[in-house]
Amino acid sequence: MNEAVITGKQIVGNFIEFTCTCAEVAQHAVPGQFVMVSVSPTLDPFLNRPLGILWAKDDSFALLFEVVGRGTSLLACLEKGDTLPVLGPLGNGYSLDASSALLLAGGRGVVTLHFLARRFKELGIPVSMLCGVRDSSEIMLERYIIECESGLRLFCCEEGVRGLFQGTVVDALEEYAALHPLAPETVIYTCGPEGMLRELAMHPLLEKRRVEVSLEALMGCGFGVCMSCARKSTEGYMHICSEGPVCALSEVTW
Amino acid sequence: MCSLRGYLVNIKTRLGTLELANPLVLASGTAGYGREIAPYLDLNRVGAITVKGLSLFPCSGNPPPRIYESASGVLNSIGLENKGVERFIQEDIPFLETLSTRVFVNIWGTDEHSYRDGARTLTAIERIDGIEINVSCPNVEKGGASFACSLDSLASLIGKLRKVVTKTLIVKLGPMKEDIGAVVILLEQLGVDAVSITNTFPALAVNLSNERLFFSRKTAGLSGPAIKPMALRMVYEATQASSIPCIGMGGISSGTDAVEFLLVGACAVGVGTATLKNPAAALEILEGMQSWMEGRGIERIEEIIGKAR
Repeated sequence: MNEAVITGKQIVGNFIEFTCTCAEVAQHAVPGQFVMVSVSPTLDPFLNRPLGILWAKDDSFALLFEVVGRGTSLLACLEKGDTLPVLGPLGNGYSLDASSALLLAGGRGVVTLHFLARRFKELGIPVSMLCGVRDSSEIMLERYIIECESGLRLFCCEEGVRGLFQGTVVDALEEYAALHPLAPETVIYTCGPEGMLRELAMHPLLEKRRVEVSLEALMGCGFGVCMSCARKSTEGYMHICSEGPVCALSEVTW
Repeated sequence: MCSLRGYLVNIKTRLGTLELANPLVLASGTAGYGREIAPYLDLNRVGAITVKGLSLFPCSGNPPPRIYESASGVLNSIGLENKGVERFIQEDIPFLETLSTRVFVNIWGTDEHSYRDGARTLTAIERIDGIEINVSCPNVEKGGASFACSLDSLASLIGKLRKVVTKTLIVKLGPMKEDIGAVVILLEQLGVDAVSITNTFPALAVNLSNERLFFSRKTAGLSGPAIKPMALRMVYEATQASSIPCIGMGGISSGTDAVEFLLVGACAVGVGTATLKNPAAALEILEGMQSWMEGRGIERIEEIIGKAR
């Protein structure tokens, strides 16, 4: 475990963003990877929590997580100056060999795609980003959509909110594709809730296209020994922590 | 001999005729096949590694969800997923051959033949120092009851395995209906070299959101600090009843937890669930244990084994 020092904390609705200093994590992290974070120095809760990396640069990295249960509630109590035991970076990352990219994020799926968009922007690769949330309580996630001169950014909400496209990410994708037909070489990257991913997996617009997805799972260890994070794939069970979290959408079975 | 601030503590221990450089054993199911945990801790510094439970043929395990967190504990329903004996030998033995630590292989089966065939193949591998038998799995020939459900079925299985296993034979015992004292006396008579006590405890979790049981197989195995007092009781009773060497395990998360198991009679200790939280936990526990002994002026581990009676 490495000790990361929290150098910044922002409350973003029901989400918390921590900026941390830890060279061991920051210097090796690639978009799509995660860290296992200790939520308590005591024996309860016992297990670490897997959190996607929002960005990493030099000796710093950031985490953005939704407060959903006891573990993340305890994490949310930490303040600037506190230390955070972390293990990582873990898992594989998104491939960076696209000549143009379209990123489809749903809810907290924006975390790892934000990092990916930043990296593509640095590499000069055209990137468009569509992000959707369920209701107005999550619209502050809009700040994590990366501005990119060569691509489009679009934020949508299933609930009607003035000034925002109303609908899901899949609705937004259909609108987008009607206006800007997807170039054959455009690679799709996605992360989001199960229902959204399932819909994308079956969507004719993405048929025969390279689509990479980052998956979530309940995890025990995060580094491949406990086999808790199994998920059905076309090759039998895959283990999200060690064989993922990024894989081809076509490998996932629903 | 290990030196801490210049003080020498002899922490070598024995499981029958097998010597371990120290009493710290990585428990089965939490150290993978060795390679997975190697980036996080120096495997040559632990007394032994027990690789994930193997069956003769690969097993895909249970459908997810497979893990649930309870107060100071973890329920798992992995379903003994593993790559099978053959792939293990091809893919993992070459790595394990680069280590100097003791290597134990945990095995399980669905009938006596599958146990025997797996054990026979593995005992022929030079690098393997010990075979640990998981007797908590269901016997399909006996309607799915555990091999440890009666002394007769246990004696039948272990008697056959003793004939084929030429390496250190360890039997891993979990909670059972039979009196643990009677079980270890029987195992000693059968020529078993050591026992690992305990395995996970059968437990249940409920999913409040859909008002159903959390795991598809209904029950799951509870491990972690929550089971430590029950594990201590089992180790105490087993080592009172018999002189068979015991690897004590169940919720060990600190050096002093490990010392408690030694005090009640274990001559080695297994670290399992703590590894999930911190892959280097075993070494920190070892250092904590040595530090405790040093603080007490203890020179040899034997001085504390079974002292609390």
